[in-house]
Amino acid sequence: MKRYDDEDGRSAGEPLAEIVDLRVEVGGRVIVDGVGLRALPGRVTALVGASGSGKTTTGLALLGEFPAGARVTGRVRVAAGGPVGYVPQHPAAVLNPARRVSALLMDIARAQVRDLPRPARRAAARERVLRALADAQLPDGETLLRRYPHQLSGGQQQRVVLAQALLLGARVVVADEPTTGQDALTKSRVVDQLAAVAARGFAVVLLSHDLDVVRALADEIHVMRAGRIVESGRAQRVWLAPRHEWTRELLRSRPSLPDTTEPDRPEDATEKGRPEDAEEQGRPKEGAEPDRPEDATEQGRPKAAAVPVLRVRNLIARHRDGSRRGAAVAVRASELALYAGQCLAVVGRSGSGKTTLARCLAGLHRDHDGEVLLDSAPLPRSLRDRRRDQLAAVQYVFQDARAAFDEHRPVLSQVARTAVRLRGADPGAAEAEALTTLARLGLPAELVRRRPARLSGGELQRAALARALLAQPRVLLCDEITSGLDTVTRRGILDVLTALLDGDDGLSLVLITHDLDTAAVAHRVAVLDDGQIVEQGPTHRILTAPRHPFTASLTAAAAPRGRATGPG
Amino acid sequence: MSGSGLRSFVARRLLLGAAQTVAVVLLVFALTEALPGDAAIALAGDQPDPERVAAIREALLLDRPVLERLGDWAAGLAHGDFGTSLASGRPVSRYIADGFGPTLLLAALTVALLVPIGFGLGVLAARHEGGLVDRLVSGLTLAVYAVPEFALGVLLVTVFALRLGWLPPTAVGYGTDLLAHPAALVLPVLVLLSRPVCSLVRLVRAGMVDALASPYAAHARRYGVPGARVRYAHALPNALAPAAQQLARTVDWLLCGVIVVEALFVVPGLGTVLLNAVAERDVPVVQGLAVVFGVLTVVLNLGADVIAHRLAPRAGVAA
Repeated sequence: MKRYDDEDGRSAGEPLAEIVDLRVEVGGRVIVDGVGLRALPGRVTALVGASGSGKTTTGLALLGEFPAGARVTGRVRVAAGGPVGYVPQHPAAVLNPARRVSALLMDIARAQVRDLPRPARRAAARERVLRALADAQLPDGETLLRRYPHQLSGGQQQRVVLAQALLLGARVVVADEPTTGQDALTKSRVVDQLAAVAARGFAVVLLSHDLDVVRALADEIHVMRAGRIVESGRAQRVWLAPRHEWTRELLRSRPSLPDTTEPDRPEDATEKGRPEDAEEQGRPKEGAEPDRPEDATEQGRPKAAAVPVLRVRNLIARHRDGSRRGAAVAVRASELALYAGQCLAVVGRSGSGKTTLARCLAGLHRDHDGEVLLDSAPLPRSLRDRRRDQLAAVQYVFQDARAAFDEHRPVLSQVARTAVRLRGADPGAAEAEALTTLARLGLPAELVRRRPARLSGGELQRAALARALLAQPRVLLCDEITSGLDTVTRRGILDVLTALLDGDDGLSLVLITHDLDTAAVAHRVAVLDDGQIVEQGPTHRILTAPRHPFTASLTAAAAPRGRATGPG
Repeated sequence: MSGSGLRSFVARRLLLGAAQTVAVVLLVFALTEALPGDAAIALAGDQPDPERVAAIREALLLDRPVLERLGDWAAGLAHGDFGTSLASGRPVSRYIADGFGPTLLLAALTVALLVPIGFGLGVLAARHEGGLVDRLVSGLTLAVYAVPEFALGVLLVTVFALRLGWLPPTAVGYGTDLLAHPAALVLPVLVLLSRPVCSLVRLVRAGMVDALASPYAAHARRYGVPGARVRYAHALPNALAPAAQQLARTVDWLLCGVIVVEALFVVPGLGTVLLNAVAERDVPVVQGLAVVFGVLTVVLNLGADVIAHRLAPRAGVAA
């Protein structure tokens, strides 16, 4: 654990926090073992690793927090015993929904002005709060303090949480997955924010599996796996010359944009059924034309040749606003088509209406005009009015796989239930089929007989996919199913999706995502901004030569960290 | 939701409430009409001589068509006139005013004890979740909740009034000025308190367990906010919204005259008035009470919804 000290040539002053040989054990299971790190002032120290590698446990150790019932050995030292700030993955979760933003801030400030005479305390506390908000780049503190957390944007919430840490007088800030699930523009804003904090002399400890962010920020990298630090060093060195096998795998698993015609793609992707391969093999069993022209890579499916599986016409979806008579238009899609065996990515920032669009297709959002056609026959707007075969034909996989499973029943029985409910299969056959499908997605039988709590997020997402597949759907709607997963797990899920497209059952995918790297596996991309489809076309064209300014801004925001120095 | 949104919400709810009250009054009127017998028969007493009954009916104007009587009464109500009792000829508003005093007193005393006990025990149990205190509070509240009011009332009267003789068994002889005889109030208030306290404690406990385990409570503790302040200033507001709704239902239940308890302790409140009026087929009194109860229910529930909206601002968006 001494190695990284020597590699850091710059002098950065005394470490503000230090962990030495930390070992955390819960119920006989070792979560973190022999971990050591130093947080230096003005530097960003990154802990990188897949989910479950012990990053968060290590990070929370700096705050003096350990899992319940943990046996802890080793040493955690924070300079002057000072407080440590914490910026969690979901800032909204640590903001009290029933209190105004000012509540916790004033409580923190009040403790600092105890020595003042009583009448002066309130004004002094308020002044400190406003200063902290200004330091966290929230200039309009006065109005902000009166708001409730849900009235703030995601970015403002994050800055409020940061302001709490600054107000506390913390010199060390632990940022836990600050960019997970964020779109490219938000990500770059978070990066700027954290860089500014480090520039002011704070020690930032960044816990992340998002390699783009780590690349943009980190001075020092510790790669974690299964509770141990397998490699440490200056960011530059780890990036360019990874020494440990696991680091290399982590770096390699980053999907890069498909340079469809160039041979210099990452070598492991070629065999695994990238979209172009799927395109080239064609799928003659779907539709009336067995031998369509197959030069579709640039154009997407030739429209004249086949009837789309799913087609959206003049769709206008609204959100009712309880108090007003009118309703806000959430999505406007005049024409959107999905062909058999194809994958359509719907890309946009959070709040752009992606999920609403998918919910319209699935019959979960009734309040819309226009038509959704399945094999040229209109689908009823509401799920309740759809026939069983229509229900089976369009299946939805949700972002939060854990919330999509009943925690009290084994995964297997929940997966098998789809076949019983939607296809009338008998329970025995359904279970056998479920086991086969789950095994195909890489989930062994003994694993899926457990309850959801004992599966990881990635495993549960696979199970959710299997559950949807048991309905033998024509169209699978995947709503941000990889956000929140680490890069390795995400790559695995994307591989599963491309393999599904390659299968011979003519399945079509709608991939809702904010992540351009994820969208890259699709054949076609539709870009949503503020409820409007601003651009759609073949993936390669959209990602490399966007025509609409918004698409260009998305690809530009992803670019500096997305592709510039891909390993290999 | 903005301020104007809240105002339009309140306005819509008041309109809806008015419609609901009218529906309740019509229903009550129809049901009282459907009952066998009427005020004339009740007044005729032990000798229901047909001629005598017909004479009384004519004197009370009961021989007019149903709709006409309803129309007259409704027209009077528009001027604030609740009509006159068929049984005694006294104005209905007097009945309501007389009965309201004792009922309001009982309700106020009950709520004054209910709120601190309910929230205090709920927070206490949540703080020691799974511990001895929690198991004791949870077990006890469940047990008490399972006992109906009349059974508990009879039990308390038997033990404290008849066996021990500490408290008067009923409020007979004290008139409507019960405040002058606080001893007569102890048992009714205890009985009224018993079940609402239990449901409130359990609701507050459940909400507080969730709130105390939440990331925002952990975050407040992490940043050095003292434990009591985390519990009462940060966690409790999140547990309040369902409790406020429950509290409104309880107050409503108390103000509309808890018939069983008032009858048991012979408290001359609204419940007793209602019971007598139904027995005498005194339609104007029953209708007057239906109006009062309807308005109370609408206003209290609206108030609870507004409070709940303040406490859970996110939920308001869909209201």
